[in-house]
Amino acid sequence: MRQTSLLPALGGLAVIGLLIAAPLGLPAFAMTLLTELLILGLFAMSLDLMVGYTNLVSFGHAAAYGLGAYASGYLALNSSLPLPLVVLLAGLLTGFVAIGVGWVCTLATGVSFSMLTLAFAQLMYAIAFKWTAVTGGSDGLAGIPRRPGPFGMTVLTTKTGFYYFALASLLGAYFACRQLVSSPFGAVLRGIRENEPKTSVLGYNTRLYKIAAVAIAYGLGGLAGALYAPFAGFANTELLFWLLSGQVLIMVIVGGQGTLIGPILGAAFFMLLEHQLSSYTEAWALFFGLIFIAFVLFAPEGIWGLARRAFSRASLTETRHG
Amino acid sequence: MGEALLQVDGLTKRYGALVAVDNVSMQVRKGEVRAIIGPNGAGKTTLFHLITGVVSPTSGTVRFRGSELTRLPPHAICQRGLSRTFQLTSLFPRMSARDNAMLAAQARYPRRWAPFGGSGVFARARAQGEGALEQLGLSHVADRPAGLLSHGDQRLLEVAMAMAQDPEVLLLDEPTQGLSVEETAQAVETLAGLLDKARLTVLLVEHDMEVVFRLAHRITVLHRGGVIADDTPTAVKVNARVQEAYLGGIE
Repeated sequence: MRQTSLLPALGGLAVIGLLIAAPLGLPAFAMTLLTELLILGLFAMSLDLMVGYTNLVSFGHAAAYGLGAYASGYLALNSSLPLPLVVLLAGLLTGFVAIGVGWVCTLATGVSFSMLTLAFAQLMYAIAFKWTAVTGGSDGLAGIPRRPGPFGMTVLTTKTGFYYFALASLLGAYFACRQLVSSPFGAVLRGIRENEPKTSVLGYNTRLYKIAAVAIAYGLGGLAGALYAPFAGFANTELLFWLLSGQVLIMVIVGGQGTLIGPILGAAFFMLLEHQLSSYTEAWALFFGLIFIAFVLFAPEGIWGLARRAFSRASLTETRHG
Repeated sequence: MGEALLQVDGLTKRYGALVAVDNVSMQVRKGEVRAIIGPNGAGKTTLFHLITGVVSPTSGTVRFRGSELTRLPPHAICQRGLSRTFQLTSLFPRMSARDNAMLAAQARYPRRWAPFGGSGVFARARAQGEGALEQLGLSHVADRPAGLLSHGDQRLLEVAMAMAQDPEVLLLDEPTQGLSVEETAQAVETLAGLLDKARLTVLLVEHDMEVVFRLAHRITVLHRGGVIADDTPTAVKVNARVQEAYLGGIE
């Protein structure tokens, strides 16, 4: 038993080690891809707190990403704040706005909840289009800089530096989420996921817990968006579009909901597949759709669920033979 | 018997022209096991929902230790010390029996919402939850997912969850609903043992007269939403109005 519980920790350390060493061995274009993957992984993981742990299915998580991106872009263009502070403030702002979003959306449950999250995302999409003075309208915000700030933290603003910044953000968010889902708070979220009326009758104010889950998920999703804007150098309305909300939901489900790691893998899978398929065919989304259907039908536990099952089978045969 | 813990006054619930609960007044004293009985459609479960805040009344009040509970949401009423079970089993099916009881116990701690750490909360909840499972003879199934337990054990697990909250009033909504004759007999023995030992204050809704006469000290009889008798089991048995109400019923 001891060795098997040590194995995942060692595996995790190995992956972290590889990610830290990556800039030494990978060409520039691969590093760009990897940085985007970390950001997208953070985005998908944030949604897992709602979908996987609380059974709050959001059809509008792009709202978090877009709001974070616009906030970070606006701050970077209109202030001289250093990059880490810009990203942090944008994430906090998104989480703060999400308290209101969560308050309204949790008036409903089930499909109606999902529809309200979609409505909020569309509302923000419309605002981004119209509020030209702040958002740049249909052009979006362009030329978003990464400012080193007064302490001369240029170390984070270079390409490699930014990669490490994104990696640190993802790892920090991952360990924070891991802590959150295994805390008393996380136990209540699981109760809501399994049986909300019962959780309420046991004495938990379930609505407050759900609003908190929405705020944290949006805050971390906003953090991802806040990283994306200075990474790409722009923020536009596509980041608020419902297509992205659908894609991130697919990443969570294909990767394995309720696992935190699964959605990160789902994001990687989605990105790599898009990258590979789009060089062969225009209709790459069609093939991705087919893969999605296959997962829902045959492997609802997702990539990480399949992998975990394979690991445990392998370690089982090992102990039997060893 | 002790002071009145739970006091219901003039409680009424109307659904349009239908009066489901009609001007019901009753009290539950400390240490008393009181049963609410009545023919089908008498308003027993609605009365229960009104007391626990699942349904809000058209008029009337519910007071607990003198302070008003009327129109508080269910979670707030539970926080005051009233724990209930449901007529149709309501559990966390994919969580183990132990985790079910632990989540119930956790609800009573001030740090139940702590977003980090929590080993102290979990240790207390575990001790309390496992204690409750033992009281209901469920220790041997503690690791099994609640959804895979036998129906009888699921009914008892719901009681264990309420017990894990160390309630001041335990409200049981038809605890033997859907059980076979043997399962009912077994569950009733377990419950009787628990009630004797823990000297709990209990309000019980029950269909099965044998269960009622085995467990209750006092009985409130409902008929068409109103109270027609409030007495000891022996007196209720020979009450003419009660017999009339049940006559021709499906019982």
